Amino acid sequence: MRKPRPISRAVALAAAGALVLAGCTAVDESGDGDTADGTETSATDEIQIGDGVTEEPCPEAVNPDTGCIYLGVLSDLTEGPFAALAVPIVDGQRAYWEQVNADGGIAGYEVDIDTYTRDTKYQAAEHAAAYQQIEPNILALAQTLGTVNTEAILPDMDAADIVGAPASWWSGYAFEENDFGLILENGYSYCTEAIVGLDWFAENHTAPESVAAVGYPGDYGGDSAAGVEKWAEANGIAAENVTVVPTGPNQVTGNQDAVVSAITEADPDVVVLAVGPAENAEIVGKLAAGGFTGRFMGSLPTWNPALLDSAAAPALTALYNHMSIGEQWDGESEGLAAMKETLDAPPPNGGYLIGWLMSYPMHAVLEQAAENGDLTRAGVRAAVPEVEVDYQGMSTNQSYNGNGKDIAVSAIKVFEPNAENPLGVVSLGDFFEGPTWDQVDYDQACVSTS
Amino acid sequence: MTTFITSVISGLGTGAVYGLLAVSFVIIFRATGVLNFAQPGLLIIGVFFCSYFAVTQGLPFYVSVVLAMLVAALVGIVSERVAIRPMVGRPVFAAALVTVGLFTILLIVAFRLFDSAARTINDPWQLEQVCLLASDTGCAIPVYHNTIARFVISMVVLGLLGWWLSRSRIGLAMRATSLDQEAALAQGIDVGRVFSLSWAIGGALAALAGILLAANGSVVQATDALFALVALPALILGGIDSLKGAVVGGLLIGLISSITSTYQPIYAPWLGPNFENVVPYLVMILVLLIRPYGLYGTKEVQRV
Repeated sequence: MRKPRPISRAVALAAAGALVLAGCTAVDESGDGDTADGTETSATDEIQIGDGVTEEPCPEAVNPDTGCIYLGVLSDLTEGPFAALAVPIVDGQRAYWEQVNADGGIAGYEVDIDTYTRDTKYQAAEHAAAYQQIEPNILALAQTLGTVNTEAILPDMDAADIVGAPASWWSGYAFEENDFGLILENGYSYCTEAIVGLDWFAENHTAPESVAAVGYPGDYGGDSAAGVEKWAEANGIAAENVTVVPTGPNQVTGNQDAVVSAITEADPDVVVLAVGPAENAEIVGKLAAGGFTGRFMGSLPTWNPALLDSAAAPALTALYNHMSIGEQWDGESEGLAAMKETLDAPPPNGGYLIGWLMSYPMHAVLEQAAENGDLTRAGVRAAVPEVEVDYQGMSTNQSYNGNGKDIAVSAIKVFEPNAENPLGVVSLGDFFEGPTWDQVDYDQACVSTS
Repeated sequence: MTTFITSVISGLGTGAVYGLLAVSFVIIFRATGVLNFAQPGLLIIGVFFCSYFAVTQGLPFYVSVVLAMLVAALVGIVSERVAIRPMVGRPVFAAALVTVGLFTILLIVAFRLFDSAARTINDPWQLEQVCLLASDTGCAIPVYHNTIARFVISMVVLGLLGWWLSRSRIGLAMRATSLDQEAALAQGIDVGRVFSLSWAIGGALAALAGILLAANGSVVQATDALFALVALPALILGGIDSLKGAVVGGLLIGLISSITSTYQPIYAPWLGPNFENVVPYLVMILVLLIRPYGLYGTKEVQRV
């Protein structure tokens, strides 16, 4: 199977013409043939393709003369805990690839993410089973949601050379010992977010003398709490002035009263939250009602515009800042403008933006692989360290050639609640990078996921 | 001491909702012999419709609560008629599995209804609080209005329900059906009607529990349905067929969880984070080992 690229075809014709003129016979195309790994070889000016790529058009092809690249999506689409966020993420990704296809696709191939989209309900076992089911037919994973779920399939991804874009922001993805160089993370990690977020707080509010971290243990809240502890250590905050309060979602704990009691007692200057939106509002609202005078920095998943309809809205507006990997609705970048063109109305939450944004790395890697003439899985994997992802201004550029600080993004966007804006937040300046990042060790994952 | 009292008050509020949920399980179990795993679905559908009536339609909160309970009751009746009634005569285990499927269906419906959005229910308690004991720095023992509401409303509803079931002919029919369905049929009791009624009551109670949970000054999402499953330890602790046991079990589990979440991080941090979420299930396992029929459940006697 092979498909010539338009540019390559022109070059081939020109070369053939030159050879004819030089008295040679023709371009030698006899190199085509099957190889042991199941791919097909081709002339050097043609793209080599393999599993997950067909010469036949995609089921919903814009141009029936193109081939098709099949990408898998393993997400939480019906009854899992992150379905409310994951569904718009998939919608955003779908819109992104529809735009790519409408613009001609990638080197003569359109991209399909619908055929192999599976609902894995945020369960590692379901995730692994669905992966096994779709793996023979995909080139890469456009989305693998959840760190633990992704870790469950990483050894198999490694064996099959499947590159994937995660819908999670664990610090461990910056290290090849964890992700085998297969994970195309987008933006910062929760650990980095907390470190840089506290720098932003110190610069824009007051240098805190006491800090607290509230979150779900593990790759989300645990990673964020580790970042808070790293920041405190680097800035000379005594251990007794650092409070870490683990909690769980309300459907498990019933309420956040224990968190409220713990924070009231510790009385920190700033609390970094890594919980869900409902828990965020309850914690901020109850603490404010109880006279708490500190402030809150909320991690990426803590926000939902509906919070501004809740009783906690005044407290959130007064005391809360939201952190994000990229622009929100009020952004002015080229990428965001392109995304808005795909929508008739603002989406229900920030998931759509995440889905759009997280598609850039995969797009860049596929373009690079095609440019290298190798759209096989191995070719895509080999292209990962070669790219520098340009998010068209939606986020800061990102690369994957290295480990730790070599590749970790350390820029955050900070917002404040604003009911006038779609998605309920308004930006407080450009991307921010703080001084503490350079002082902390980042040579392994901030927290393990087990 | 003030921390302890605050923790107890919070635990009683949450425990009362656990009790409400546990009773919703018991009502259906006593009538049909089936442990209804679809209760989380009924809970979240009730919450959605409360939000729909109170926020989208602008109806008064208490009217919205009643309407939402009626919707959940109706969904319960339809579910029973369509999915459970055909299972009469089949092994109870098979019927329980059908309720698992029903749970999945209702949850997916709830996700479609919520449409990826978080919702509020416009409750009157919001984040208001009263101060039971003032201190130099402010309030030593604050009590949220929603905590009081959870406890009072749950206890009043459960009290009225218990009174009605013990005094009314319908209640008598339900008790007769729970004892022996064939004998009840022979006595002219419409067992099918009792089944429907038990699902209706179970659905309405689950909806009310969900609404009280959502009344925390924050937002509610479809995933909050899973809260209903936390009532299972309360159910086992009290006894799976005992209304009184369900209430006591709910309150005990609420108290144990709350006190654990307050003191375990201080005195036993080595147990790890969120240990309070594990405690109810440890209690459940302990009860199953020592007293399998629970505190007030019927001791099963089998001839061998």
